[in-house]
Amino acid sequence: MPVDNRRITVPENTTCYNLFTKSKSFKNRCEHFINTSGKRPDGRKAEEHRKIFLQMNVVTQAKGSAYIEVGKTKVIVSVFDPRGIPNNSDYKQNGELYCEFKYAPFSCTKRRLHQQDSEEKQKSLIMKRSLESAVCRHEFPNFQVDIYALVLENDGSTLSAAITAAGIALAQAGIPMYDIITAAEFGYQDGTYVLDPTSQEERICSVTMQENNDSANEFKPQGIIILSMLLTHQQVSGFHANGNLRLSDVNNSFDVISRATADIANLVKKNLVKQVIKNVQENAIKK
Amino acid sequence: MSLCEAEKTFILHGVEENFRIDGREREDYRPMEVEIGIISHAFGSARLRLANTDVLVAVKIEVDTPYPEKPSQGKLDFFVDCSANATPDFEGRGGEDLATGISNSLSDAYRSSKAFDLKKLCIMKGQKCWKLLVDILLLECGGNLYDAVSLAVKAALWNTRVPGVKSVGIDGKNVELNVSERLNDCVPLDVSGAPVMVTVCKIGEYCVVDPSAAEEKCSSAALVVAVSQGNITTVLQGSAGSLHPTTLMDSLGLGVEVANQLNIALMETLQSAPPHFDVGFLK
Repeated sequence: MPVDNRRITVPENTTCYNLFTKSKSFKNRCEHFINTSGKRPDGRKAEEHRKIFLQMNVVTQAKGSAYIEVGKTKVIVSVFDPRGIPNNSDYKQNGELYCEFKYAPFSCTKRRLHQQDSEEKQKSLIMKRSLESAVCRHEFPNFQVDIYALVLENDGSTLSAAITAAGIALAQAGIPMYDIITAAEFGYQDGTYVLDPTSQEERICSVTMQENNDSANEFKPQGIIILSMLLTHQQVSGFHANGNLRLSDVNNSFDVISRATADIANLVKKNLVKQVIKNVQENAIKK
Repeated sequence: MSLCEAEKTFILHGVEENFRIDGREREDYRPMEVEIGIISHAFGSARLRLANTDVLVAVKIEVDTPYPEKPSQGKLDFFVDCSANATPDFEGRGGEDLATGISNSLSDAYRSSKAFDLKKLCIMKGQKCWKLLVDILLLECGGNLYDAVSLAVKAALWNTRVPGVKSVGIDGKNVELNVSERLNDCVPLDVSGAPVMVTVCKIGEYCVVDPSAAEEKCSSAALVVAVSQGNITTVLQGSAGSLHPTTLMDSLGLGVEVANQLNIALMETLQSAPPHFDVGFLK
């Protein structure tokens, strides 16, 4: 990984102090995953999404911007005016989206570098793919729209929050779109599933555990699914899964996630309407 | 490659009739060729040719220190190089996005310990481990890159021999590692769980597997499914485009089914490959 020499970096080869603290064993943590009364550590039910706070127009320089809080997860997304595609010689019939997903250096338990690492690049790509089918790209041929997502605090489900916020920011920027786009994340570990996992739950869901009996090659199903939906068209615009999932697990989880995206869409709609009313009132006062 | 509307309609009608332009049915693969152990300086290598797609994979092994958060695991890294020989588009930094896309999807697909057990690459907990560096060179692009790359990687890992460690001890702060000098004293990797990726393309109303470059141009959406022993390890979108939920589930099902057959075919081919002959006097 190339390192930016112009920045003052922290010493290389440092390790996070958490590794040296006494932590609960993995099995112990998994037991607290969902307790006997069906509640998660933060008191939610398995199918319950965290509370969402949305605000539009938070970055004045940007054409459109949105700020989203999902529990402790905080993401800012800004969208800029279409501009010519840099270093492009041939004519492109469809406009391009340029997405940049970035964790702020202080957003996770471990410090992040200023440059995008491969995880962030991968998430940028997933975000781009999901948003591409929501935007009428033929309306701005040979132009690109820049979308920047910055995670201020990471407490799980950052990518789905970023996609939802990007949808609102795009709408506010006046980029022509087919539909409202909302996304939700889903974690699965050994028969129990959680909607909108926190970073702790995400960590549990991304480890493959061996089956308790002696057969060495049996593993428990686990994984994380991110789904983004266009609600009125009933289309899946983005689907990304990771882990070790059976086809039936994916099938069963689909209803839960799509219901969550529909709920979020209602909230997004309300916010957009509020913004329109605000704009109309402001214009009326000016006149 | 650019297609005119008439050509696109022709391909679309072919898919509807279940008779694609090269005579295949919707769930058929093109013939492929695989060669293993062709690079002498690599610990394992494979070349796979799927119609016009040509991929060369070489595995190098080095000794490294494990990550402090995963002290008992080895490392596995993928590097994709898009040679400008493949298409002029890759000239300069042109292929970089595609390359990072492929290498990230591979590391996602291999992350689950069902797919590949990194614990077997550990030499001494917290001190020394093997690092597998998988270099993937795209020599020619004829569509369906993900599938070809995943098959070639699996073949190369199957061919890989990890040097045998005779003894390992710790002396103060130094780790003393004694690796066997004998060429035949090495351990093969367990690749039974290594994932196979299948690209499912939606063309018109139907889903097809193994799209050619022309068919990729006609598809409205593409889904890449990585399957390890019947379970899905990764799903990602191969191109822009949205799907109806039922189509999504159908194409996932199709992907899993095809990947299982493909995996069986690949393992049979690899096992029936002639054994490696020892040359020289060292044995």
